[in-house]
This record gives sequence, C-alpha cells and structure tokens, in this order.
Amino acid sequence: MSGPFSALAIPASGMTTYRAWLDALSDNVANVNTVRSTDEPAFQERFVVAEAREDGQGIGRGVRVAEVRFGDPTGRLSYQPDHPLADENGMVRLPDMNLSDQMTSLIAAQRAYQLNVAVFERARDSYQRALEIGK
Amino acid sequence: MIPPVAASSAGASLSIGALSPNATVGVRPQEEAATGDQGAAFGDAITRAIGTLERTQDTADAYARQAATGRLERVEDYMVAATEAQLVTQLTVAVRNKAVEAFQEIMRMQV
Repeated sequence: MSGPFSALAIPASGMTTYRAWLDALSDNVANVNTVRSTDEPAFQERFVVAEAREDGQGIGRGVRVAEVRFGDPTGRLSYQPDHPLADENGMVRLPDMNLSDQMTSLIAAQRAYQLNVAVFERARDSYQRALEIGK
Repeated sequence: MIPPVAASSAGASLSIGALSPNATVGVRPQEEAATGDQGAAFGDAITRAIGTLERTQDTADAYARQAATGRLERVEDYMVAATEAQLVTQLTVAVRNKAVEAFQEIMRMQV
C-alpha cells in the first residue's frame, strides 16, 4: 500500500506478522501432545522469524515474516509401553516444547497484535482529522 | 491550499487549471499564466484520483466477497482495505468539493 495513506500499511504489516506468530503458537499448542514413534522425528516447534521492512529512506515500512524455523526434531522420549506407537523398549517421542513458554509468547503476540490495531486506529483518526481541515 | 488565480491572468483567461490542488493528486501549482493545457492537467489529475479510488474500492470489495463466502483468510486484510477505501473516498470528495467551491467563488466574482 502506498499513496496518501501510507502510514496505514505499517501497523497493517505488524498485524499480519503477529497474526502469523499467533498462528504458529496455536499450532505449537495444538501439537503439544502429538506423539510419534521413536523412528520418526518429533513434532518440531514453529518459530516465526520477523524482519524489518526497509525502504532505504530512513523510515521503515513495517515488519514481515522472513521465515519459519523449526525446533529440535529429537524431541523428548517418554516411557509409555501401552501406547500403540511405542517401540520395543516402550518409548515414544513427544515434542520438546515448554507449554508455559508458549503461553507467555501467546500473551506477547496477542498484545503486540492489539498494539498494532491501536496504532492503525490512531493513523486512521489522524488522516480523518486531516481531511476535515477547511471543512 | 488552493493558490489564488494569478492576478495578471484574471478576467480574460480564467481556467480551472489555475485552481491546482496540492500534490496529492499529482498536480503541482503552476507558476506561469493559466492556459487550456492546465485545465486538461486538472482533469487528468482528477481522473487519476478516481482511478486510485476505484482500485482501492475494488480491493476492499474483493475482500468483502471473500468474507461473505467464507474464504477470507485474514480479517485485518479486509479491515485495512476497507479503511483505506473509505479514506481515499473522503480525500477524492474533499478535492472535488474544494475545486467546485473555488470555481463557484470565481463565478461569483464581479468583472
């Protein structure tokens, strides 16, 4: 988005990025109990890598998702001999994720998203005030 | 701000081109006396502004259709597009109102 209302694009890019982070965190939380057999890699935690968007003129153009990285495929071995996926030693592979970290990040992502919505509303209100000049 | 009509050209060669709006619609205030070309330039600028308006509204409409049919992936995309369309509409209407206002001001002038 460019043109006369370019300041809307910056918080919009923040919303898109934090939405991606929220999606990744939701996916991590949803898969916290995803069990795999020991001959498969465990569910890998998703990490969203954010990157500043530069326009080469000092003031940037917001943020974007540069890439999604994956956590440790080794996971965590758990002794569950009755599990259908258990190997001969009774072990299964669980994702190596800390649920409290996920919840903390979830709060941060949610607040950051809300913050970008607030900035967007401020920008919109400013533009509307500017359009009222001379009315 | 709408620059006043150049005093030297007032009367004989009044044209809408002299009423250049600011750079947001691509017209720069002209130094030289008003000519017919400037009338065309103002018309072009308005056409471009309406083109931008149409584009932003098309984008917003596309997202609205996606929302209505359940294919919208990100809510914020629609809200951002709708807000931009609203602001561009307000800007276009403001430019048009200012131009008409200035034109009427000149038409009321006693010669």
